Amino acid sequence: MSAASALRPDLKPVLVQLLRAAYPHPTFPDGPYERTADKVLTELDADLWHRVVLERGLATLDREALADPHAAAAEEYLRGIAQAEFFRFVRGVAVTTLYDDHEVWDLLGYEGASFDQGGYLHRGFDDLDWLPDPRVAEYDGEPLQLVADHDELPTG
Amino acid sequence: MNTHGNPIDNDTEAVVIIGSGAGGGTVAYELTRRGIPCVVLEAGPYLQRADYENDEWAAFNQMAWLDKRTTSGSWRVAQNFANLPAWIVKAVGGSTTHWSGATPRFHDYEFRTRTYYGDIDGANLLDWPISLADLAAYYDAAEKAIGSTHRHGRPPLPANNNYKVFANGAERVGYKYYATGPYGTNAEPYDGRPASIQDGFNFQGDKSGAKWSTAIREIPRALESGKCDLRTECQAVQITHDASGRADGVVYLDAEGSLHRQAARVVCLAGNSIETPRLLLMSASGLHPDGLANSSGQVGRNYMRHTTASVYARFDQPVRMYRGETMAGIIADEARLDTARGFAGGYYMETLSLGVPFLAAFVEPGSWGRDFTELMDAYANTAGMWIVGEDMPQESNRVTLNTGVLDQWGLPVPDVHFDDHPNDVAMREHGYQRADLLYEAVGAIGTHHTPPYPSTHNLGTARMSARAEDGVVGAYGEAHDVAGLFVSDGSVMTTGAAANPTLTIVALAIRQAEHIADRLGRGEL
Repeated sequence: MSAASALRPDLKPVLVQLLRAAYPHPTFPDGPYERTADKVLTELDADLWHRVVLERGLATLDREALADPHAAAAEEYLRGIAQAEFFRFVRGVAVTTLYDDHEVWDLLGYEGASFDQGGYLHRGFDDLDWLPDPRVAEYDGEPLQLVADHDELPTG
Repeated sequence: MNTHGNPIDNDTEAVVIIGSGAGGGTVAYELTRRGIPCVVLEAGPYLQRADYENDEWAAFNQMAWLDKRTTSGSWRVAQNFANLPAWIVKAVGGSTTHWSGATPRFHDYEFRTRTYYGDIDGANLLDWPISLADLAAYYDAAEKAIGSTHRHGRPPLPANNNYKVFANGAERVGYKYYATGPYGTNAEPYDGRPASIQDGFNFQGDKSGAKWSTAIREIPRALESGKCDLRTECQAVQITHDASGRADGVVYLDAEGSLHRQAARVVCLAGNSIETPRLLLMSASGLHPDGLANSSGQVGRNYMRHTTASVYARFDQPVRMYRGETMAGIIADEARLDTARGFAGGYYMETLSLGVPFLAAFVEPGSWGRDFTELMDAYANTAGMWIVGEDMPQESNRVTLNTGVLDQWGLPVPDVHFDDHPNDVAMREHGYQRADLLYEAVGAIGTHHTPPYPSTHNLGTARMSARAEDGVVGAYGEAHDVAGLFVSDGSVMTTGAAANPTLTIVALAIRQAEHIADRLGRGEL
């Protein structure tokens, strides 16, 4: 139940647009950004201060400047509002939500939980094949010189 | 109250151990196996293997110490994580629950830094009252308890993907002292624990049980001895002393917030280097007006966190660093004293992997925009390492009571103040440059220099010293000022050395427990 988003359904599209421009990934569809926007709006239920600054901030956002989230102009515009409280709040929620989204994990090539599949022991923990197999034992030559000659204590 | 093991009456003068991590858990096991009754007070819950989560944020919220804390000083952590100075665990097993597992020993010169480094401006250096030789047998015992790979016949772990990049880079830049350990996770079954399944979740508690922790070895064995009363979700509030000044009890809160007092013959304090000085400062009395055991004024001072940094390198081919043991890769070539590099002390390079959720939060805290998303888009082709080295003890880096901010119980929260010493900065910069060279040698198309995370290695706030005016505890960890009060965690470290501290904390705890048992046996405690 999200009172903020229920009260202000109009906030979500502009919030998604903001998130897309702040975290521009060419391969990401709308879903992860929409779920992140929902989380931001849910957080507002318990936080009057951020609710009022976010409502005000989103209402006054230059949506023209954000029309293409991958354009340099979009990021340049956001740099100008980077220290605004509402944008800092959005980023704080977004960085722990967008990248905790399992669809995002798939898109970035992260496989998540592995224990219930037996870990990666038989599923590629050592499948990197573009470098030779390195030594895993410790060096068996001369031991490391722990103190350089010029740092050794005077004897006697 | 949540109790485990055999109950001990509150009026029975037991050995009372505060904390069940590397120090407290080890002392509990070493004393109970000698038949000495112990009460263990643990602030967190008793999480078991089945409880641990293969999910970074879920595990963090399950086990991290999230009680309110504040920060001050110029360190980056105070800016990005103002209420999370340290990333440690609040659960049975303490931070051995989420430790990565690297187990190098300290070097001989690192016990004598004042002698070797001289008088470094702004550094409060002091030689330890013990030497490497004093600890050698206990290092052996600790490595056997942990089952360190590459030691005492334990085989090395195989190379995972992140290690292949790391070790090939090391070889190409001329480093020699690299290996997949020593490391506290089994390569083959050992001591009732299985071999690693390379699941990639070290920092979340090991569900397989291949990794050593006091939650899987020392605490269960202490409970089986019939001599241990483990009370979980019990937060210590004060250590008390009798009229003669001897430690005689611990006042603590249970999960419901009710106060209790456990009588003590000996108190072993092992709350990690923020809670340990906090508790000493909260235990001020008429005899100890500036905090218990604080006649030197050193309680809470000389807070060290290791000079750390991470480097994440991007390649044009897959790495998948998250597959396999998180830190089973160590380079020791820079862990030496050579001031020609522009700084005193040394550092290790160690493989490190974060999943997507944590990399996003920590790779460049507060970052966004294309510079940030390009790092995340390269995730599958990224390799990572951690740099961990000795930082300078400074009197002004300290844990104090912030009486203006109270925790959920109404107690003053600890404030953690930290500024880098110029030596720390020079070492970190050297580490970044060497890591860049290493990764470029195997074809990196870019590297990112990540600043220190909230501290995982918290050291030095109740330091060991030969003379009472220089530190808080003596050579066995007993407070100079308070008979019967021992500090049993990394707070006792006079200086921090370059090595990851857990092995040394365990070795010191084994030695301390033997000392306590001997003195109890002779009726001297």
